[in-house]
Amino acid sequence: MSEPDVIKPEMMKSYIWLQTADGSIQQVEQEVAIFCPLICHEIHAGMGSSKTYPISLPARVNPVTLSLILDYCRFHQVPGRSNKERKSFDEKFIRMDTNRLCELTSAADSLQLKPLVDLTSRALARMIEGKTPEEIRETFHIPDDLTEEEKLEPLKNITDDPRIRLLNRLYARKRKELKEKEKLKNVEVEAEHVDDRSVDELLSFINGENGESKEVKTAKSKKKNRRRKEQHKNNAPVCAISDTSSTNNATKESNGIGSVGHDDDDNRVKSRCLPNINELLKLQDSEDDRFGLDDEFDDCDIGDGIDPEIKEQIDREVEDFARRLNSDWPERVQELLSLGQERRPTLYSVSVNGNGNGCSAKFSNSTRLEMEKHEK
Amino acid sequence: MGHSFPEEVLEHVFSFITSHKDRNVVSLVCKSWYEIERWCRRSIFIGNCYAVSPKMMIRRFPEVRSVELKGKPHFADFNLVPDGWGGYFYPWISEMSRAYPWLEEIKLKRMVVTDEGLELISKSFKNFKVLILSSCEGFSTDGLAAIAAHCRNLKELDLRESEVEDVSGHWLSHFPETCTSLESLNMACLGSEVSFSALQRLVSRSPNLKTLRLNRTVPLEKLSTLLRRAPQLLQMGTGAYSAEPRSDLYSNLLDAFSKCKNLNELSGFWDVVPSYLPAFYPVCSRLTSLNLSYATIQSPEITKIVTQCPNLQRLWVLDYIEDTGLNALSLSCKELRELRVFPSDPFVVDANVSLTEEGLVAVSQGCRNLQSVLYFCRQMTNSALTTIARNRPNLTCFRLCILEPRAPDYLTLEPLDTGFGAIVEHCKGLERLSLSGLLTDRVFEYIGTRGKKLEMLSIAFAGDSDLGLHHVLSGCESLRKLEIRDCPFGDKALLANVSKLETMRSLWMSSCLVSLGACKLLSQKMPRLNVEVIDERGDLDSMLDAYPVEKLYIYRTVAGPRFDMPSFIRTMAVDQQPNR
Repeated sequence: MSEPDVIKPEMMKSYIWLQTADGSIQQVEQEVAIFCPLICHEIHAGMGSSKTYPISLPARVNPVTLSLILDYCRFHQVPGRSNKERKSFDEKFIRMDTNRLCELTSAADSLQLKPLVDLTSRALARMIEGKTPEEIRETFHIPDDLTEEEKLEPLKNITDDPRIRLLNRLYARKRKELKEKEKLKNVEVEAEHVDDRSVDELLSFINGENGESKEVKTAKSKKKNRRRKEQHKNNAPVCAISDTSSTNNATKESNGIGSVGHDDDDNRVKSRCLPNINELLKLQDSEDDRFGLDDEFDDCDIGDGIDPEIKEQIDREVEDFARRLNSDWPERVQELLSLGQERRPTLYSVSVNGNGNGCSAKFSNSTRLEMEKHEK
Repeated sequence: MGHSFPEEVLEHVFSFITSHKDRNVVSLVCKSWYEIERWCRRSIFIGNCYAVSPKMMIRRFPEVRSVELKGKPHFADFNLVPDGWGGYFYPWISEMSRAYPWLEEIKLKRMVVTDEGLELISKSFKNFKVLILSSCEGFSTDGLAAIAAHCRNLKELDLRESEVEDVSGHWLSHFPETCTSLESLNMACLGSEVSFSALQRLVSRSPNLKTLRLNRTVPLEKLSTLLRRAPQLLQMGTGAYSAEPRSDLYSNLLDAFSKCKNLNELSGFWDVVPSYLPAFYPVCSRLTSLNLSYATIQSPEITKIVTQCPNLQRLWVLDYIEDTGLNALSLSCKELRELRVFPSDPFVVDANVSLTEEGLVAVSQGCRNLQSVLYFCRQMTNSALTTIARNRPNLTCFRLCILEPRAPDYLTLEPLDTGFGAIVEHCKGLERLSLSGLLTDRVFEYIGTRGKKLEMLSIAFAGDSDLGLHHVLSGCESLRKLEIRDCPFGDKALLANVSKLETMRSLWMSSCLVSLGACKLLSQKMPRLNVEVIDERGDLDSMLDAYPVEKLYIYRTVAGPRFDMPSFIRTMAVDQQPNR
């Protein structure tokens, strides 16, 4: 009369023995372990059934990562789970520090556990996307061993180049003058009245005048007149960047902005091919009237309120700028600048401005700006 | 990620990183990542075919499966780039045919493709699947016949807006009867008639066909036949949408459209006969994209259509839609992301079309998801632009084309500086901007200070001085492409910002005031730029340095100067002599 023993469910499970590279051995439920293809293969080969013959796991699997992998397997080997459940588990599962995640990826790969490899690889990919190379190196503690040539990195945007900063600051001053000028402008202006004088003034200032901005007005009016006369003669469109010869005349000049007083400047002239010399003269007239009003170097409209200290600094920057400008540009520039006066081809002026001649052509050209093919 | 991290695993991680930008970043992390990345890079995008040479590409990326190339600058679309400029595909295909036997995809934009090139494609790649030729030219339907005949696994043949020499429509019949892999066919740009029975058979044996864009010669009567054979279509481009009014034809068409349960994109609509429009109403509720830019239908008809498309995300339409239609759009299409309004008659000063700035304002108000705008109109105000900017700070692309050049705010007669200023101020994510109307240097100041995410900027007939260009070059940090025509920008701004040019893909300037001497100077200072001077007016060799060049195209390159151009184009070289 013997009753059959109650067979406990736990006793029905078989266990497998696994050994990691550090020598430690542990027991795992077989149903969990066989989720890993590599382990499954070893079991079929007869390994792992006892403590004396454990399955040797690849070197990339250490006890910590093994534990994680087994957690993963333990969850996913249960058949009844919904996709939503699995996804939710995965999302929580991969939340770990970068190093651990890398180890896990590597370990999963060595055990050929593809779903986990994909899960961890995607997580690593997300950590890489959107970052800069430096940020990636930091995240994964990777040393930078590429040379500059190898990187061929595009130049960073150089808005903090002191030259640009200075130019910007000086441009800000001209803004005010331009504002005044605009009020006089005919809004439907067709000719491009280019105010290149502002830029020219700046450059000649940079090259010639270093802070001698106080004694202005009387000297200026004389120069204005002389300049005007010279303009008649010189309507050459010259590429005018800077002229080293003008620095010699620096000390003779008395004001910052109004500059362009010395003889050489007229040869240098302007960079712009103006459509009509009369336009230029008209412009000059109106501008000249303004010069008397605001030409001080330590003018407040720069925006950062020039005090003497800053003024000194700007003086230094100007000198520096001039030096750099002069050393950068090759001699060719000077050659270019000393070109004689040439007449511009009339062909050019027709195509540029709207004297009414090119009106309809211009119209059709502009409409084609976004058309022709119905394009993205 | 130490030395023990195996390469194959890293490669597997990289396989999930697909954007070109991210791939490029990955290659800059360290030597081993550079090496791994270059071996597993499968897809290459080259935004300027002259920035790098085919050999360089092949040397660095040996296992590529997909290549995308762009040739001519964008302004080629407006006939500003002369014939013969370049952008030849043959040098690329001749190298790739030997180096990439497993190539699957070729995508080209604004390139000169030849029949020889197409034949080489068809014979060189066993697994070739995708050919997209966008705004290309130089080939004929004979080349297409070669592709059809020899590419056994062809999935996609898309000729969008290319100029094809139409020898005959017979090319389509070259698809073998065994070809069943076609998923996308776009032949809308072709002129000649194809054999309809061949087309019909092709459609019937292509169960995976998702996109079919017919050309104008396919008559409306035949459309229902095709639709019935491909009810799984997602995107459809009709042929001519006209026929004699016949009730049987109409009901056939209506029935065929009703059976296309997956159709979400429609285009074509040449020569519309309005009475046939309701035939496609059954698909309207599912439509996400609608291209009516060839449809010369009037506002009431357009309005009727858009009010039935609540899921519309993209609409391309002629200005016949008028303000009333745009108003209806703003009320009905809350999912709208992209709007393009083209001019029906751009060369007439006073068109009889009531499309004003108000239409755009209405859309900006009602369509919360609006991101991309291309709008042709005849009048604009600063106030309207400011309202649009305030309404839609999520705009990423804003292209306004006021047909009259230098047109001021028509109410105040002021320049449109403040209006565009508002756009760059409020739309902080703006990536693409096209300007028009009366504009002074002020607008460029706004753009330079505010347009930090701006990548592409198009300027015409604007500005007063170099100051304008300087603002843009020194301020716009993300700028990649800048195209300028007919503006008073000269040497100074360009030469003061030389290093900026290497951070950009390209700069185009035509009918501006840049002198030849400045071009030479620029190329001397920046050896990694190609400074191309294009001047058809006379002899470039005898042109004086002081003279302004007609057109100028500057782009960064690691391939050095090119030598495949005509005599009126020169790349300024380092040893250039000054011309006096």
